[in-house]
Amino acid sequence: MEIRPILSAMMRNRSGVLLVGLQIAITLAVAANAAFIIQQRLEKIGRPSGVDAANMFYVYSYGYSPSYDSKPTLAADLDTLRRLPGVLAASSTNGMLLSGGGSANSYQASANTKAPQIPGNYFEIGEQGLNALGVKLVAGRNFRADELTYSGLDNLFPKQIIVTRTMAKALFGDERVVGRLVYSPTGDAAEIIGVTQNMMGSWVDNRHPENVVFHPILQRGARLTYMVRTEPGRRDELMARAEKALSKPGDGRFVVWVHSQEHYIKNSYRSDRRMVVFLWTMICLMVGVTALGIVGLATFLVNARRKQIGTRRAIGARRIDIVRYFMVENGLLTAFGVIAGAGLSFLFSYWLSNMFALPPLKLRFVLWGIAALLLLGQMAVFIPARRAAAVPPALATRTV
Amino acid sequence: MLAYYFRLALMSMRRTPAITALMVAAIAIGIAVCTVSLTVYHLMSANPMHDRNDVLFAVTVDSWDPQHAWDDTRPILAPSEWTYRDATAVLAAGVADRIAVMRKTGFTLESGAGKTPFLVEARLTTGDFFSLFDVPFEYGGGWDHKADRDALPVVVLSKKTNETAFGGQNSVGKVLKLDSREYRVIGVLKEWQPTPKFYDLNNGNYDPIEDIYAPFALGAQLQLQPGGNVNCWKPEEIKGFEQFLNSECIWFQLWVELGTPQKQAQFKEFIDGYVAHQKTLGRFPRPLNNHLYTVKQWLDVNEVVAKDNKVLMGLAFMFLAVCVLNVVGLLLAKFLGRAKITALRRALGASRRELFTQHLVEVGAIGLAGGILGLGLAALGLMGMRHLYENYDQLTHLDLPIALLSLGISIAAGAMAGIYPAWRVCRVSPSTYLRT
Repeated sequence: MEIRPILSAMMRNRSGVLLVGLQIAITLAVAANAAFIIQQRLEKIGRPSGVDAANMFYVYSYGYSPSYDSKPTLAADLDTLRRLPGVLAASSTNGMLLSGGGSANSYQASANTKAPQIPGNYFEIGEQGLNALGVKLVAGRNFRADELTYSGLDNLFPKQIIVTRTMAKALFGDERVVGRLVYSPTGDAAEIIGVTQNMMGSWVDNRHPENVVFHPILQRGARLTYMVRTEPGRRDELMARAEKALSKPGDGRFVVWVHSQEHYIKNSYRSDRRMVVFLWTMICLMVGVTALGIVGLATFLVNARRKQIGTRRAIGARRIDIVRYFMVENGLLTAFGVIAGAGLSFLFSYWLSNMFALPPLKLRFVLWGIAALLLLGQMAVFIPARRAAAVPPALATRTV
Repeated sequence: MLAYYFRLALMSMRRTPAITALMVAAIAIGIAVCTVSLTVYHLMSANPMHDRNDVLFAVTVDSWDPQHAWDDTRPILAPSEWTYRDATAVLAAGVADRIAVMRKTGFTLESGAGKTPFLVEARLTTGDFFSLFDVPFEYGGGWDHKADRDALPVVVLSKKTNETAFGGQNSVGKVLKLDSREYRVIGVLKEWQPTPKFYDLNNGNYDPIEDIYAPFALGAQLQLQPGGNVNCWKPEEIKGFEQFLNSECIWFQLWVELGTPQKQAQFKEFIDGYVAHQKTLGRFPRPLNNHLYTVKQWLDVNEVVAKDNKVLMGLAFMFLAVCVLNVVGLLLAKFLGRAKITALRRALGASRRELFTQHLVEVGAIGLAGGILGLGLAALGLMGMRHLYENYDQLTHLDLPIALLSLGISIAAGAMAGIYPAWRVCRVSPSTYLRT
């Protein structure tokens, strides 16, 4: 009913309409794309690590004196750590989960050198390794103490391995894998003796983060890293105690650091978290600026039209009619803006996915954005519209 | 006249304080967001070797796997590091003016009886490293070719290491124990932190510099373990350090100084010839793919600026656009709202140009106020970012060029926002408004 006169009033103020419309369109394009990126990042950050991360820590020891001998040190250290009350399991390891550094190898389902090479992120652990990670076997068995050998450039491919479910699937599809042989590109063979639940490997941005393989290998040399799991809630206390227990001045080695698993997880996702904070800040500021802009503009329009409003009131329009006029006007304006904005959003998303290989924008983010902006516009215009309604009818009879 | 316009502008602002505050705030927030993302982008992508960009080159050769390119998504790239065999062969040929062949390792530093030893990161490099990269010395200097040839046990310390080990005094000539061996200190660096750490982008683009520098030849002689990234592709038997050195694993960086385009062409010809010769020996199975990169190209090729930061830059400028549109809308409404007064001034003899100037002064004042407030907000924002960029202090300080650039952007933004409304208002015809 009221739309025709409102439209024609808007047509007479084309540049104003265009400006606000464009502003709303860009706001929608940025907010929808930003929200989409935020959602992807939150999904990434929220991925389960698959291990008992809250109760895990690592100790890094470095031997430096000529009298240092790594084999007895390793055995004594593992014994010391396992005896600490509250420690559930301890193992040496060649890398820390989600630390950004680790080891990888290629694995093949057959000895044929042409067979596809599946990249696997491998961890060298002892018989308590799986327990120290808190991952459970879903098939097969764990390493036995008599299967353990020592690490070295000449011992990169062991006789037995354990793989995660994802790795098993990557190698053999849905077939049973326990008891089957896998091959290194040099032709060495290893038997799969167990399959574990899925867990994340070393690299947060790995394309296949859950392609993890375990080798029954103990560490040796100057650098030894231990992986320890504690009873729930006792991690921090035991981190301090483990450091103290392994630090004996004069034994030719020292503890370089003790880090919790959560330390690595937090670092791994830092840049994603940062992006989420930035984008959220930007969305909030942008929505705030746009809303204030709508309030400011509407206030001006109300002031400019005081006389008109007074006249309308004098010839019978109710307050609610005046409020409705401004609300409908804003609704139309926002509608123009979001229609243009929807197009702009996809254009922007197209650019982003071309330039930075991001996945294309999902429609629902645009729809949510449209709903939010319509609501925001209505809320923003409500205050000046109420002020407009308060213009007394008597104003019509006065000349300024 | 300008002073009068300025007074008029102030009066006009005072008449509508809320709207004026809103406009200033919109510009300020837009500028702050842009400044923060520009600062991070600028510092992330800075070229620390700006002055030597045309003589300094990172060299790459494609010794990688015949089945896969080094980077599947960009097959044009050769690996960013070298094998020991090739790096030392190019070093021995002595074709470049200066050459740095290098890698990382680690040592335990024993700073005295009774003190707990600690781990230090070390760079094993040829002596040219220091002159090649203009590394500043506090005391002493680097080593010469003889020290490289004879693998002399000499070291250069970073400023930080000299402070921890020798309390910051001149330690040149003193002896340092690394992994229980004795080394003589011959130089101490001044504060030095190239950002990004362009000379080794394989081990953290913004990592701190190494604590200790020692002659490259010591690495093979003492069988010092790799301290950075090692990448291997070839299934080959590696038993022991000797075989490791002779393997196809890559873990060395190679930089050269080539003073003239002619020398650059000669050097390129030399490495192409070297690789062609190696191919006849059955190595280098991939097509010939060797590159010389200037520091700037090297930073681009290695995508040092994170994708996220480019996306944020784009978003920041769209944000500024929204702020500008906002201000245009408000100014237009404001100026047209007082068209009556403008019409009166026209009728009294003010020319269009004078009215235009008058309005532009008002707009300029708003833009300037917004810019200054925006820089303040940006400084606050960067302080907040320091929290988000732990260990990246150098990425979060506001520097002068960026501050000036931002001020420029804010004036441009103010002008963009103001020109159209100012133009519109001085085109109103006085008669329409003066009839009543």
